[in-house]
Amino acid sequence: MDKKILIVDDSATVRQQVRVALLGAGFEIVEAADGVEGLQALTERDDIVGVVCDVNMPRMGGLEMLELVKARGRLAALAVLMLTTEGQPALVQRAKALGAKGWVVKPFKPELLVAAMRKLIAVCGSAA
Amino acid sequence: MRSPDNRPIDNLVYDCSRELFAAYTLDMHPRSRHDFPASEELALCGVMGFGGKQMRGALVLATTREALEQTNPGNFGSQRDWVCELANQLVGRVKNRLLLLGVEILLATPAGLSGENLCPTPAKLRSPQIFAAARGFACVWIDCEFADGFELPAVPPAGIEAPVAEGDTVMF
Repeated sequence: MDKKILIVDDSATVRQQVRVALLGAGFEIVEAADGVEGLQALTERDDIVGVVCDVNMPRMGGLEMLELVKARGRLAALAVLMLTTEGQPALVQRAKALGAKGWVVKPFKPELLVAAMRKLIAVCGSAA
Repeated sequence: MRSPDNRPIDNLVYDCSRELFAAYTLDMHPRSRHDFPASEELALCGVMGFGGKQMRGALVLATTREALEQTNPGNFGSQRDWVCELANQLVGRVKNRLLLLGVEILLATPAGLSGENLCPTPAKLRSPQIFAAARGFACVWIDCEFADGFELPAVPPAGIEAPVAEGDTVMF
């Protein structure tokens, strides 16, 4: 089932907000509190099709996590949507170069987040 | 680093605070420090450190519990976690406005404090900005130093690439 989404954010509140939005849209959820946990989840599981990922986190940030995921050859088929307070063009470009497929600046509207994730999964699934 | 004329950055933080509260449909109005009721309890506080070549410091968001609850209608997570996230989102807005002025800062991750009657007494006799909602209060203050010779530009320099705005989605 192509429905499992990994949420990577150091705020438990944001993870819960995203989880409720995606669960309501029929997705299944895996959570991680930072890039280290996110990388571990992506290493251990092969059923994750999408990632909603913060940028600034303790231990390992979202962009650093993407670098490692990309190095392991896992990123091309993943629908990665960055969800962050950052809007800096240099960071957005770095995420794009690493293989992220979208960028959302908080606060987010749940319906728009769900629509973006659905679209990205459809694109990534058809490209795979 | 030196202590600057803080009015431009205070005005920027004021605008960002109003925008953030409005994004969560919380109608906040400015109050003078003298209007702040002694009985109100500032119970939660999020602190965000930042730094860059031109300026460094910290931004603090302190709120009463009822004001915080109004920004989190689903009552998700803990209030301590949420005030940290709000401080994070506030300083993210500040960073975006500074980027438009050609000033770049790097953000730390937030730290939270909780307690009863947290007292807003910033260093260097800085006054916090106080906002009141129909129920509850919030205080915001920024305490920063500027590099020698640096003044916050009054108008954006030419050729600055605009950051992605809050609430916007960019698909690659």
